[in-house]
Amino acid sequence: MQVFHVLYRNTQGTLMRILTAVSRRGIEMPFVQAEPTDQWHKVTLLLDVNPRQIGQLSRDWHAVVDVIDVRAGAPKDVAEYSEAWAVKPHPPSPVIAAREAASGALA
Amino acid sequence: MHKGAEIVLQCLRAEGVDLVFGYPGGAIMPLYDALNGSGVRHILTRHEQGAVFAAEGYARSTGKVGVAIATSGPGATNLVTGIADAKMDSVPLVCITGQVRTPLIGTDAFQETDVFGMTLSLTKWSRLVRTIDEIPAVIAEAFYWARSGRPGPVMIDLPVDLLKASTEFRGPVKFQPHPKPADLATDSAFCDNLIALLQHARKPVALVGAGAKLSGATDDLRRLLDHLQVPTFATVHGLGAVNPDKSYYLGMVGMHGTRAANMALSETDLLLVFGARLDDRVTGEPTRFAPHARIVHFEIDPAQLDRVRPCELPVIGDLAETIPMFYSQVKRASLPNWNEWRSIACGPERAELDPRGFSEPTIRFIDELFRHLPENSIVVTDVGQHQMWAAQRYRSRFPRGFMTSGGLGAMGFALPAAIGAQLANPEATVLCISGDGGFQMNIQELATVKRLNLPVKLVIVDNKYLGMVRQWQQLFYNRNYAETDMSDNPNFVAIGYAYGINSRRMRVDGVMDPDLAEESANAIQNFLSSPNPELLVFECPPEANVYPMVPAGAALSEMLLEEE
Repeated sequence: MQVFHVLYRNTQGTLMRILTAVSRRGIEMPFVQAEPTDQWHKVTLLLDVNPRQIGQLSRDWHAVVDVIDVRAGAPKDVAEYSEAWAVKPHPPSPVIAAREAASGALA
Repeated sequence: MHKGAEIVLQCLRAEGVDLVFGYPGGAIMPLYDALNGSGVRHILTRHEQGAVFAAEGYARSTGKVGVAIATSGPGATNLVTGIADAKMDSVPLVCITGQVRTPLIGTDAFQETDVFGMTLSLTKWSRLVRTIDEIPAVIAEAFYWARSGRPGPVMIDLPVDLLKASTEFRGPVKFQPHPKPADLATDSAFCDNLIALLQHARKPVALVGAGAKLSGATDDLRRLLDHLQVPTFATVHGLGAVNPDKSYYLGMVGMHGTRAANMALSETDLLLVFGARLDDRVTGEPTRFAPHARIVHFEIDPAQLDRVRPCELPVIGDLAETIPMFYSQVKRASLPNWNEWRSIACGPERAELDPRGFSEPTIRFIDELFRHLPENSIVVTDVGQHQMWAAQRYRSRFPRGFMTSGGLGAMGFALPAAIGAQLANPEATVLCISGDGGFQMNIQELATVKRLNLPVKLVIVDNKYLGMVRQWQQLFYNRNYAETDMSDNPNFVAIGYAYGINSRRMRVDGVMDPDLAEESANAIQNFLSSPNPELLVFECPPEANVYPMVPAGAALSEMLLEEE
């Protein structure tokens, strides 16, 4: 496993271009998190890659127009990445609320 | 006040666009409504794929940005193959698509498709325009990215309500890119290392790709190669970058490259790569590519490095800067004498292109075509056997004199691309060579040729098979010719006439029978010199094969030279 941090300008499609560089290679993405930073945005990816793919991905990401920088680092435990996540019901609550409202109206 | 459509067209003019290719439809109608008097000439093709390939032909033959326009939904999806083609072959292309009204986006409205999403991995950059005021900045940025660095396709998706809306327009704008902190400035530090590598090399070679032409570095490259005098070969997109008359030039390299080029590449100890991606059609089995070589890679796009093998010395930057930088230093350096290596690599024993040589009727026919072709002609090929025969035989001295769908290998490319090339180069002879399969993939563009009375010279090499697939079936699938038979092809001459294009047929004896040689030569001469569009159908032997051939998974040195 390898962790990557890709710093990017949050323009249309840039995050998706970063992700499709991974998905087109059939690489599993156990963890992905995108977030704003002080100046740019950052996406953190935990990927199961071989050394050659590390180089290919880094160069492909650098070639994306609005990517600022790419860093690779040692992976942490997936649980550490995920701890900020709270499990939410699905579908999201506004939908449930709307359904309940609709049921109420029909009744 | 200006309508969004008028702003688009004024911004296109500001980018130097005077010719676009397209096909109208509901969501793009306001743009078509504003065309008259805009200064932008629109070429109506008969299919959106024809439009995007024609825009590519325009761009490939000039180096300018090609523009293709289509409506939303199916119009947009029909552009996708051309966008992929432009991405693979580094063609500067701006595609403009109509989109459903802004409030309807995401509702699966009539003729709505997520073309922005579906082309994300094919485009360098794209925008779904959200307000009319964004239009000038979006168009400026689109053209910037299409042209800059490694050129490529970009896409602008324009909702129809924005094209109809009006706003105050202060004129086109210029785009200023944000510098990337990670970008490295090109400096001359590599020169000493490269000179040292050359001084220790015993068998250096040079491999030339499209990058040398795209960067406009052809003259600089030729000067450098004349100085180095190392055995040199080109990828299919590099053809024309090197003067083919030079004694050190060995022709095309790769799957159907010359024996001399592939052998030299297999034996070299120092490989200089100038603007080539080194894809699998060039390298053969990647793990056995140039097995003894250190690699020096001149390349503008760092993403192309180390795809096949790690390179010893990457030289990142525009070849128009890095090659002169290196030449200015290497011309003062003391280099070894590589005469012995050159005499082996470029010697007569390896020079024979094809053991059957002139006995193969299709090769003889293509040679006859090229013999009568004026200097600075443009040859456009489709994809398949004829493509490789043409690439092997055409000795272009003109950097943009040979174009083909190389990376994507998109059948149907040639006819519309030839239309674009002819419109961009009205004085040039544009020779379009297709197979019978590929020609039928965009055959409707004969109507475009006729409407414009373009003097394109159209050749169909008709073997009544999907020839290259059939060749693989013969060699690697035990002659199981599954679904490649096209013996029920239509009468292409009659089709040509149905479109109003003068058409004729030539058979094998036309090029093989000495008694018919003069008559055939005259027919080809008349065909090429006509001021009108012409179609020539060459009925060739059905089971001719392209040799040399490196089988998939084999090393370049293991090429097949003839049927075993």
